[in-house]
Amino acid sequence: MTGARLELEGITKRFGDLVAVDDLSLQLQPGEVFGFVGSNGAGKTTTMRVVLGTLTPDGGKVLWDGAPIGFEVRRRIGYMPEERGLYPKMRVLEQLIYLARLRGMPKAEARSSAEQLLATLEVVGDPGARVESLSLGNQQRVQLAAALVHRPELLVLDEPFSGLDPVGVDVLSGVLRTAAHDGAAVVFSSHQLELVERLCDAVVLIDQGRIAAQGTIEELRVSRARNLWQIRLRDVTSPWWEVIPGAAPLRRDDGVVVLELAPSTDPQRVLDVARSAGDVLSFGPVEPSLQELFREVVS
Amino acid sequence: MRGAADRGAWRLIAARDFWVRLRERSFLISTLLNVGVISVLILARASGGLGGGAPTFDLGVVGGPAVTSVANDAAALGHRGGVTVIVHPYSDQAAADAALRSGSVDAVMTGTQLYGLESVDQTLEALVQTSAHAAAVDAVFAKHHVPEAQREAASQTDPLALGALQPAPPDRQSNAGVAFIGVLLLYGQLFGYGLWVATGVIEEKASRIVEMLLSAIRPRQLLAGKIIGVGVLGLAQLITIAGFAICLAFATGARFQTSTAIWAALLVIGWFILGYAFYASLFAAAGSLVSRMEELQNVIVPINLTILVSFIISIGSLQDPNSTLAIVASILPVSSALAMPVRIVLGAATGWQIALSLTLLIGSAVALVPVGARLYAGAVLRTGSRVKLRDAWRAA
Repeated sequence: MTGARLELEGITKRFGDLVAVDDLSLQLQPGEVFGFVGSNGAGKTTTMRVVLGTLTPDGGKVLWDGAPIGFEVRRRIGYMPEERGLYPKMRVLEQLIYLARLRGMPKAEARSSAEQLLATLEVVGDPGARVESLSLGNQQRVQLAAALVHRPELLVLDEPFSGLDPVGVDVLSGVLRTAAHDGAAVVFSSHQLELVERLCDAVVLIDQGRIAAQGTIEELRVSRARNLWQIRLRDVTSPWWEVIPGAAPLRRDDGVVVLELAPSTDPQRVLDVARSAGDVLSFGPVEPSLQELFREVVS
Repeated sequence: MRGAADRGAWRLIAARDFWVRLRERSFLISTLLNVGVISVLILARASGGLGGGAPTFDLGVVGGPAVTSVANDAAALGHRGGVTVIVHPYSDQAAADAALRSGSVDAVMTGTQLYGLESVDQTLEALVQTSAHAAAVDAVFAKHHVPEAQREAASQTDPLALGALQPAPPDRQSNAGVAFIGVLLLYGQLFGYGLWVATGVIEEKASRIVEMLLSAIRPRQLLAGKIIGVGVLGLAQLITIAGFAICLAFATGARFQTSTAIWAALLVIGWFILGYAFYASLFAAAGSLVSRMEELQNVIVPINLTILVSFIISIGSLQDPNSTLAIVASILPVSSALAMPVRIVLGAATGWQIALSLTLLIGSAVALVPVGARLYAGAVLRTGSRVKLRDAWRAA
């Protein structure tokens, strides 16, 4: 397929004097898992609510398949709000069927989809039990089922992993992957960056309502790449690198040092100097983790 | 994507609210309470207790045949006017007083006195005084040997003809009983079901499911579904209670006119629909301003007071349905849902008043729905502290 499924064009949203989202644009392809990363208050939830239509932007457009998104498309987005919400006294299966039907799914289809999801998500307990009687982890899974039950083509999940145990994280990761594999576009926000890194095809780093960086993890690495090299020497504590022009130590720790090299500095020269200083145990380029990229962007 | 239109979404909301509320214990309790109160009122009427129907008096008499004769004359006089006076002779005043204290008689008459426990009913007093006066006049005539023909002539005075500029319907007294039950029921339903709309809104806000719902359907549909679902339940309950009340009234022979009771029931049902339509969107908007059940009372006070004051005015207009207050209250939409049906049942409302009242109430109910919906939409996604009306209006 060509062209973006979901497209945000210059979205701006203000609350009084606060600019929550500032001229934000992004594109989401079908089958893509998209990570939304930013500090608290960066504008992630506001952006999601604009996509959902529960907030009206002060500027910009939300497009679906190239046309302005309409209510009929919006109501079939699978949504998991940051503030989890279900009817506490309603029964699990009944609730899922109800929410699916609200989004236009016929009753019988809603029932089979809900039953299937409860099994896939490994929700423990009686489907006829009231939601409030489930453990918090299970409620969280039911919440996720509520987002997925009508088989959406777009999933918008606000912090879906928070509150899940490691098994739950694995189950959810699998479910999101499967949904994307089946052609859905998935966007989720998370503070668990190693998870985003593992799961997402593309990432947006958002800071104070603006996009600070965007692209695949690899693209981000390249664009943000600093020429970093890590060298480990046996039993050497002296600052042996000081003789190399264009090499600045970033971190040093117990025989390990990370150097940032100027573009003109040849890493092989660094290795040569290191070998003359002592036994080199390891030497190689440093690939920044998403966490490091994020810290760098936000700082 | 499926192409199903979302127009039916409000029905799902309405159906859910209907069934959820139906299964609530408070619904069962309110139904039983209503049925209980109405049974008491109807049974009281059936036994002639509640002011309706002809009065009955028990008159204790102490004294000779002359005194008993006056009492019997009073009973005969009363009989002509549809008032029953039962004469109970006592051998001495102490026995009569004991009977008065125990409540077996309403008043005691001696040769010189008529007294009750605290006071004497005016009807009874009039009967006794009239016959005592007639006996005294007869005694004077007898003393002066006035011939029978002249005695007749003396008593043949023409009474003043009674009339009224706006004659009240002859059965107003019994209709007032019907109207009282009707307005009591109406007050309970309007207040109770309005409150349920407000609590339903807060429940969804407090459990945060409202954001899920509003990602699937429009605020106006959510609001409409909730109002209709709760309202249909209120209507069903009202019809059940009204049906029960009419059956009970027939079964016990309470002194209602059949047609009046059915007519009143239909009026109550009709005005419930209109009044509920008027108040429900206000209740919903009020509920959406707060996030916790504890704060509900604060925001619904103005609506509560309006309904309560309307109810009090309606009860007052049972006595005087043509007072200026009763007329104005029956026309203004804030109070007409309770005040107008009373005046209609009592036969006091004129055609133009009813038409004006209906037009204003329907018009303002229709106008309030979008106002309530806008406030609701602007406030319902804001959790935390109470949302100001102005902010809610602007946010939507």
